[in-house]
Amino acid sequence: MPVIEIKQLVKKFGKFTALDGVDFELDEGQVHAYLGPNGAGKTTTIRVLLGILRATSGSVSMFGKDAWKHSVELHKRLAYVPGEVNLWGNLTGGEVIDLMLSLRKPDKHHKERRELFLKRFELDPSKKCHTYSKGNRQKVALVAALASDAELFVFDEPSSGLDPLMEKVFQDIVLELKKDGKSVLLSSHILSEVEKLADKISIIRNGKIIQSGTMDEISKVAAGRSLEELFLSEYNGKEQ
Amino acid sequence: MKPLAGFWLYTRFILERERIISAIWIVAMAASAVGFAAMYPSLFSTSTELSGMAQTMNTPAMVALMGPVYGLDSLTTAMVMAQTCLIWFAIASAIMNIFFVNRYTRADEELGRLEMFRALPMGRLANIAATLFCVLLLNVLIASLTMAGLLAINIGGTSIHGAFAYSFAIGAIGFSFAGITLLLAQLVSSSRGVLGAAFALFGLFYIIRAWGDMQGNDASYLSPIGLGLKVSAFYDNNLWLLAVLFGIAILITIVAGVVYVKRDLGAGVIPAKPGRKHASPLLKSPFGLAWRLTRGAVAAWAIAAVVAGAVYGSIVGELQSFLSNNAMMQQMVQGSDGGNSLVNDYITMLFSIMALLAAVPVINAAMKIHSEEKHGRIEQVYATATSRIGLYAGFIVIALLQSVLFMVLSTLGMYASGYSTGLLVLTDLFKASLVYLPALWVMLGVSVALVGLLPRLSVAIWVVYAYSFVIIYFGRMFKLPDWATNISPFGSVPQLPVADFNAVPLAVLAAIAVALTLVGLAAYRLRDLR
Ligand SMILES: Nc1ncnc2c1ncn2[C@@H]1O[C@H](COP(=O)(O)OP(=O)(O)OP(=O)(O)O)[C@@H](O)[C@H]1O
Ligand SMILES: [Mg+2]
Repeated sequence: MPVIEIKQLVKKFGKFTALDGVDFELDEGQVHAYLGPNGAGKTTTIRVLLGILRATSGSVSMFGKDAWKHSVELHKRLAYVPGEVNLWGNLTGGEVIDLMLSLRKPDKHHKERRELFLKRFELDPSKKCHTYSKGNRQKVALVAALASDAELFVFDEPSSGLDPLMEKVFQDIVLELKKDGKSVLLSSHILSEVEKLADKISIIRNGKIIQSGTMDEISKVAAGRSLEELFLSEYNGKEQ
Repeated sequence: MKPLAGFWLYTRFILERERIISAIWIVAMAASAVGFAAMYPSLFSTSTELSGMAQTMNTPAMVALMGPVYGLDSLTTAMVMAQTCLIWFAIASAIMNIFFVNRYTRADEELGRLEMFRALPMGRLANIAATLFCVLLLNVLIASLTMAGLLAINIGGTSIHGAFAYSFAIGAIGFSFAGITLLLAQLVSSSRGVLGAAFALFGLFYIIRAWGDMQGNDASYLSPIGLGLKVSAFYDNNLWLLAVLFGIAILITIVAGVVYVKRDLGAGVIPAKPGRKHASPLLKSPFGLAWRLTRGAVAAWAIAAVVAGAVYGSIVGELQSFLSNNAMMQQMVQGSDGGNSLVNDYITMLFSIMALLAAVPVINAAMKIHSEEKHGRIEQVYATATSRIGLYAGFIVIALLQSVLFMVLSTLGMYASGYSTGLLVLTDLFKASLVYLPALWVMLGVSVALVGLLPRLSVAIWVVYAYSFVIIYFGRMFKLPDWATNISPFGSVPQLPVADFNAVPLAVLAAIAVALTLVGLAAYRLRDLR
């Protein structure tokens, strides 16, 4: 049973169709990269998955259960890092991390993991959120997600704003998650990151999935070109 | 670089962004100021009606509510209009000015928009100078249109001087709050904080004025609202007072400009210090989050309630001397139960005001979840095992708490400060104040319903609020049609202790409140979040 199963998902905002029949599957223990040009519908897909937006039609399930109906129960098993991290200015980073952890019903070891990831990301938890830099706000969200014992991690452009050193730390952590058998949905614009981490890739453009497959299958489609060249032509829509 | 470089460019930008909101304010303010004035001649067509109104106005309750009474011996329609309307438009104008200035200063700064402008070839002072210029323009436009309208309808007693004094007093009082808000925007580092501080000061100034006007002493001059009302429009027309008020506002803005140039963008004057590394156990739940986001407001409003109650309570003693100095009034209350009816009248007025004040924190708490949503902070919360209803329930509990807290604390404040007069009975006071709770819960219900069903139109709650204000206010002076009174949640509340207790309207209000809340919650659970 796939961890995430999206079938023929349509999402309309008024007359505008943001998602136009999206199919997507994430298998257990895999890293599935979700790519596409700006405004293609990646964040919208994730927000439907999280029950923040309601699907216009189609089916969306996680762990075999409807993602809208069972959202609260399902969210105990996943952790999420939003693309744009907005925090409460007068709470400290440490407070936000603790809050997020306790809202997810933490396990026994979350305290140790919290300290470990704070150290790995070199984050000072005693600062008020409005004084954090963009990258540090991102780290607060990352630590809050990673310190949980979730089975599924949903990352929306998690490394935007991280410096190269921290980007490396993040990539190492994702590989460790994979080793532990966790599943990861990774929306990203950084192709080198995707190449390094992903088992599977799906590309969305104008609300439609235009390419999906394992790394090997994608390489075949590329037919000798580099992945970057393939993506650029796919994003431009020249393949169709 | 020249500090004002880019001033006109930024002014054009503000006018562009403001054109719809400002057009609404201009039309609403000028049209309603003239429209209300136009109603007065039919209400007071004879001199007996005018002198009857003089009696109604010259009561402690009305003075505390609306400001000093003047010219009772030679009342004209225009004078009655000014004495009963000026304060109301001054309040609306102050609200407009506070929001306008905050929008272009601290709010834009908080959202990082100002940063983009400061990176352009623009002087450091251009944006606040342009903001002030635009808000001044707005006030002058409203005042000029109002003045022209008043001269056109020409109700009894109208003069050019009087129309000018009336219209520009509204503008001057409002503009003084533009200056105050500009200064606060430099001192406080969040736009919510600026609004909170500005409205707190506004409340304080209103109370200082009420106290000064009741005592007949000079304290009123310490408040911009009191100062503006002393213009005595259509009677003394003390135009120089408006000049003083305007001068004070300009002085405050100069101070604000100096602070602005000296500080860093994004900062207040109070530097941030490191906080807790871990969350306290209290924070670690949906309710804990709701509490953490509102506890400052709860504390501030609790203090406001005690102070407001105490100030109005301290005037109770004056009711007696008011009576002994006022022969006409003595005649009025003689035969009935003497001074008591005066006190009771005062108490009903007082608690209708307190209920209106209490509605503000109630609405804010019920709307807080929507402002979190607009700021993009709610998504990460719902990505955890937190249900929408669970989180909203926390804010609703806090809104309920706010309603009870404000009414109870203002009652206690009033009792404590009026205790020595021997005129107050605590249980009667509590009955008169708590009777407003169901109406406050309707305001809560309307807020939740708006957030659930029409989140984009959620500011409409303030239209409901303004309507209730008008009803309470004019309901004291005129006999309004029953339907107009009854569609305001506050209109059908029994006016204890003057009227008799009646449980029926209260039960109806409570039922409406529950229904609206449930409908709102059901819709909120099902809708898309931003
Ligand atoms: N609430 C909304 N109302 C109307 N349109 C929306 C809404 N949310 C998203 N859209 C539109 O849906 C489309 C998809 O947006 P989405 O945020 O999913 O893009 P994305 O793939 O995440 O892009 P990016 O790479 O820039 O993050 C965009 O055209 C966007 O403008
Ligand atoms: Mg996105």
